[in-house]
Amino acid sequence: MEKPFLKSRCLKVIYKGICRPILKYFVGVQYPDCSFLKDEKQFVIIANHNSHLDTLSLLTSLPGDILWKVRPVAAQDYFGNTKLKAKLSNFFINTLLINRRPKKEDGKSNALDKMIEAIDDGYSLILFPEGSRGEPEQLSKMKSGIARLLSQRPNLKYVPVFMTGMGTSLPKGGVVVLPYNATLHFGKPTLPESDDSYAIMDQIEKTFADMVEKYGVKEEEDDD
Amino acid sequence: MKQFLSYLFPEQSSEVILMIAIILTSLSVVSAILFAVRKIKPELNITEIINRTKSWWIMVTIFICAIFINNTVAYVCLAVLSFFAFRELYSVLHFRQSDRNGLFVALLAIPIQYTLAYFTWYGGYIIFIPVIMFLLLPPILVLKQDTHRITKSMAMLQWSLMLSVFGLSHLAFLLSMPDIEGYSSGGRGLLLFLVFLTEINDVMQFVWGKTLGKHKILPNVSPNKTWEGFIGGAISTTIIGYFIGFLTPLSTPQLIFTSALIAVFGFAGDVVLSAVKRDKGIKDMSDTIPGHGGIFDRIDSLSFTAPAFFHLMYFLVYPPFPSFDEIWKNLF
Repeated sequence: MEKPFLKSRCLKVIYKGICRPILKYFVGVQYPDCSFLKDEKQFVIIANHNSHLDTLSLLTSLPGDILWKVRPVAAQDYFGNTKLKAKLSNFFINTLLINRRPKKEDGKSNALDKMIEAIDDGYSLILFPEGSRGEPEQLSKMKSGIARLLSQRPNLKYVPVFMTGMGTSLPKGGVVVLPYNATLHFGKPTLPESDDSYAIMDQIEKTFADMVEKYGVKEEEDDD
Repeated sequence: MKQFLSYLFPEQSSEVILMIAIILTSLSVVSAILFAVRKIKPELNITEIINRTKSWWIMVTIFICAIFINNTVAYVCLAVLSFFAFRELYSVLHFRQSDRNGLFVALLAIPIQYTLAYFTWYGGYIIFIPVIMFLLLPPILVLKQDTHRITKSMAMLQWSLMLSVFGLSHLAFLLSMPDIEGYSSGGRGLLLFLVFLTEINDVMQFVWGKTLGKHKILPNVSPNKTWEGFIGGAISTTIIGYFIGFLTPLSTPQLIFTSALIAVFGFAGDVVLSAVKRDKGIKDMSDTIPGHGGIFDRIDSLSFTAPAFFHLMYFLVYPPFPSFDEIWKNLF
């Protein structure tokens, strides 16, 4: 796979040069040190999803040199509903569009095939297994597509990322970004322990349960 | 060095220049000692102190550049500091989703408050947050019609705004202090005196507590704080305050009282924020400054000492500020 000259430089300037300072100083996103991702050849980032800021914060936290080969998996019905939107999001966000709600007559969704194809091409992926942006600070049930992907490509490492505060800063349906100290918590790149997709799903869910326990915003109990 | 600093900051009085020189020299001495200690006794673990000192260099440089190079820039920088502090505070306090509108309006109060300080309209400045925002923010929260825990949100919103915007904006109003006869440093001198003494008080309480600390003062709030640290810190701060009194127009008894007051209020601010952190189950407010934690971990004392010091100065030294009519006439 060849490094696209224009696109790789564009993405680096846009995300590291423009977006990151805005997110860091105006919005207040707190970035951990992610330089360890430079040593990983290929990975799938699995993150919780509460806000449009999620993808942006993840992309701006990655090392600039590998940005061009990291593709956020996005919904075709949202980011690709017009040709122009699909083209733009392909160039500027580097999206991999998948069909999240396949039409009844088509039967199967093409999502998994498309992701496997991208992995075999050498791309890394960003995946939000919850499917869509849920309520802020709440982890909804994860869909099993990620486990099936990992079970078919057993040498692929996944990197769990847990984000807090993004949904408060820009919730679903929100128009204006509220400056907020949202935080990204990166887990270690991990290989799935088994090739059975149910076991992999359990492993991922446990990782996230631990991260929620450690970093999650605790709902306060009622005193009265 | 003094000549170089005078060239760099041509608007400043010789007292302010001297003070800046003292700060830079003492930081250099501390850095040199730490460097020597690391060379001679590498087994001693002083990484945390080295990190803190590095951060001090950065903070001192930013502060001096922000405040003393250009007058208008100083107000903008202080407003930005307020913004960072306020954002950090409300992020830690966890507001409800329905409080977003209230938070937006509260953020708008920052530029307004600092503009009032810039134009030295004391009357507007002193009531804007305690009265106008106090009356404006709760109805905005109510408009969302989500009453679950709304009392808490109303209280927290006003409190964080008072602490991070109203409290810190006193630093900006110090810059607007009118000149008085026989005293050349003006508001900059007072600002430097206040900030230096507050921070040195933090450092002194830390040093005394580390070396002599035995009797815990508030064990359930902050286990590292001791009576020895507090009293030793307060005495050192008062002595240091006496020696840098050349920055202020105060007489010796006034100076001693003011310095002791800064020590006590600095301690108060420190433990209040410690209590909040303990309640929220966090160690630091954020991770913005390496070795120190968040913005508020560094300026917690300042948000208490600034209003206390300002109003004491207003009471002791300064004549009444100009009225709105006079300011309006001067503008055009």
